[in-house]
Amino acid sequence: MNRQPVVTVENVTKTYGKRGEKQTPALKGVSFQVEPGEFVGIMGASGSGKTTLLNILSTLDRPTAGAVRIKGEDVTKLKGNALSDFRAKKIGFIFQDFNLLENLTGRENIALPLALQNVSAKKQQAAVDQIAATLGINAVLDHYPTELSGGQKQRVAAARALVQQPDILFGDEPTGALDSKAARELLDTMDDLNKNHGVSILLVTHDPFSASYASRILFIKDGQIGSELVHGDKSQEAFYQEILETLGTFQK
Amino acid sequence: MLSKLALGGLKNRFRDYAVLFSGLVIASAVFYMFMALATNTSFLKQNSPISYTPFIFGFGAVLLAIITFVYIVYANSFLLSMRQRDYAMFMMLGAKGRKIGQLIFLETVAIGLFATFAGVLIGLVGTDFIGKWLIHALHAKATGFSAFWMPAILWTFGFFVVLFILSAIYNTAKLLKMPMMRLLRQAQTPNRVKQKKGIFALQVVLGLILLAVGYYCMANALHIGLKAIPTALVTIVMGTYFLFNAVFVGLIALLKRDRSFASKQLHTFTLSQLSFRIRDYTRILSVVSILVALALGAITVGLGFTHDIPVLASQYTVYDLTVASPNAQTQAEMKKLQGVTEKQQYTIKSDDKMVYISQRALDAHPLKVQIRDQSMKGKLRTVTLTSRNFNQIASKYYGAFGIFIGNNRGKQIRVTDNATFAKLGNAETLTTFRVKNFNQNYDTIEKIVTLQQKQYPKLWGNDTDQKFVSYSILNGMYSGLTFMGFFLGLSFLAMLASTLMFKILSGANYDKRRYLMLQKIGARPQVLRRSIRQEIGVLFLLPGVVGMIHVLFGLQLFKMILQAPYDNLIVPFGVFIALYGLYYLMTTWMYQNIVINKDLAAKS
Repeated sequence: MNRQPVVTVENVTKTYGKRGEKQTPALKGVSFQVEPGEFVGIMGASGSGKTTLLNILSTLDRPTAGAVRIKGEDVTKLKGNALSDFRAKKIGFIFQDFNLLENLTGRENIALPLALQNVSAKKQQAAVDQIAATLGINAVLDHYPTELSGGQKQRVAAARALVQQPDILFGDEPTGALDSKAARELLDTMDDLNKNHGVSILLVTHDPFSASYASRILFIKDGQIGSELVHGDKSQEAFYQEILETLGTFQK
Repeated sequence: MLSKLALGGLKNRFRDYAVLFSGLVIASAVFYMFMALATNTSFLKQNSPISYTPFIFGFGAVLLAIITFVYIVYANSFLLSMRQRDYAMFMMLGAKGRKIGQLIFLETVAIGLFATFAGVLIGLVGTDFIGKWLIHALHAKATGFSAFWMPAILWTFGFFVVLFILSAIYNTAKLLKMPMMRLLRQAQTPNRVKQKKGIFALQVVLGLILLAVGYYCMANALHIGLKAIPTALVTIVMGTYFLFNAVFVGLIALLKRDRSFASKQLHTFTLSQLSFRIRDYTRILSVVSILVALALGAITVGLGFTHDIPVLASQYTVYDLTVASPNAQTQAEMKKLQGVTEKQQYTIKSDDKMVYISQRALDAHPLKVQIRDQSMKGKLRTVTLTSRNFNQIASKYYGAFGIFIGNNRGKQIRVTDNATFAKLGNAETLTTFRVKNFNQNYDTIEKIVTLQQKQYPKLWGNDTDQKFVSYSILNGMYSGLTFMGFFLGLSFLAMLASTLMFKILSGANYDKRRYLMLQKIGARPQVLRRSIRQEIGVLFLLPGVVGMIHVLFGLQLFKMILQAPYDNLIVPFGVFIALYGLYYLMTTWMYQNIVINKDLAAKS
């Protein structure tokens, strides 16, 4: 088994504003790694730079300086079709507002990344059925997104993110629009995917409860990583308390 | 405060409004241009050989009014779709229904007035420009044509103000009835297409029957009378709608069911895009196909009239020009003729009663005449004249020979043997010309004919001897009709373009989010571009093809006016396809620019 890190971030900086205009630094030299099978949480207040970081990690944006490697490949060097294909095959992404295509059924939404790579219809169906079984959404595959509950929508989105078996799953506040029961169910599912299916996860959130599912949490503040918490052998309850305490002192 | 909110809305979404506004401006400009012709009855009467032209134009005006009405209703729903979220927001913040009503009223009518004003200005310039260009191109007299025409201005303002007030009332009623939640998120409501097989089949059958009735009416308009046209109009519009509704839905369902096709790349997405707001599309596509038919029909008939002019003019004479013993000035003009395909000079001599041509010259270069044979039901035929048949035909059909006798009005022409011919006096020359393109040489030929008439006051026995004379009379009559055809065709085409562009670009705002998502999950931009090209391509192709079929049947109507309505179809169809294709490319380009993001990190 290849033990190289799934994600390596090296001294990434991001500054907004064109040359000659006012420069607004969003990230000031961020470095960390995500090991295979790890569940990493990134926490920070609004404006701390966590969304910028996630956009750079998921190749939607480019850093001003520094390197981002996913499974050893420097994604900041990718361009054009190679970049699109990389996004389709190597990265899974779930968003706070689901980002499902509301004119496609659940099944069609999930199959989309496969269709984009011209996988045969048969293989598409098999892959969709398999991932849907894992996420428990077989019954709603032929519904349109507006006919689903929030939790179901997010599961469909997760299925779409995972159907290509990506190297890493990025989550951007995936529980942000869910009620507490649906949020807990989704987090349990993500935990199961991480522990039992070996999916590496990087979760960006400001919700301490969501973060308590992670094995390691990075706290980001003013564009830099301020501190780090490791879940270790602690119970989830204890870890949750520790996060709350850290947040309490960290934000000051 | 109220007007501030209303106008603030305008400022915030300038680009969306620019699309709406330019569409409305085009609509009112087209309406003005048409009305400038339709209400100018003296112009119509002087430029048309057919007495019921004002009626045709009146009918055209009604047609244009109906289409403009549909178009305004459509543009209006676009306006509402842009603003309903804002209105709902105001209502959520506690604005009363009556206030919102006033707001909508103010906004709709303000936009309407602005657009009409701008439209009339553009219409003035457009009428002047297109009018002058066409009049020049067609050598038309176009007497009484004026770009600034008060009745047209009044009609345009009256019509549009009434329409906008009506749609403001409609908008207000519709908005106040809708539940707030639907106002806030209507874009997300999917349109699950559930169609029963029976209704589907019924629509196909009904559509076909209605179209057949419409086509039959047009083919037999002569027997049915004037009511054939309105009947055809209604049945064809309805038939088209049913056919689109049924066939369009059926086709998408069929393609989606074909797994191996649908599961490739973005096919499923493209098909879903098409079926997502299917009701809107069928309505708009029916309208567009009718517009296509009208635009193409008008251009075809207009061109048909220009083709008729040389055909009819050539019925009287084979030669485009004959010149009798030219003076120096005429000779200079003769050198200016372009594309001369045939030029032959003869010597003719005359005595007191007769004009003669020599046998040798005639047999070396036989002359040709057009004669209307009584025994063949007045059918025209071209006869080649040699010394064998010349005298016989010249005595029977002497009217057709006036063109050859030069300044010898009242005499007849005979062929004679070379010896006799040599003894005769009064030698003159006769030069016959045929040119490739009469229209191109129109001005030169006119000059030559005028010069000749000055030189020889007794020239030619009959007005129609020279082709130019009949050509200019026909041109004067038909160019009015050509003018109408072109004008209407271009107007409808402009309308069609903005209608279709409207539909597609107003969808682009909703689609923006979808395309951003697709890019985020790794769809290559070129795949997205292809999907857009296909989607818009289908939307252009379907009404285009149906419209062309309508035209092919609709030309039946013109059998009684035009010589050969089905000849020379390549030119108008070619012009139309080229322009239509241009609109397609433009729409695709604009759409791609709206929905495909360069900056993926930006929030949509």
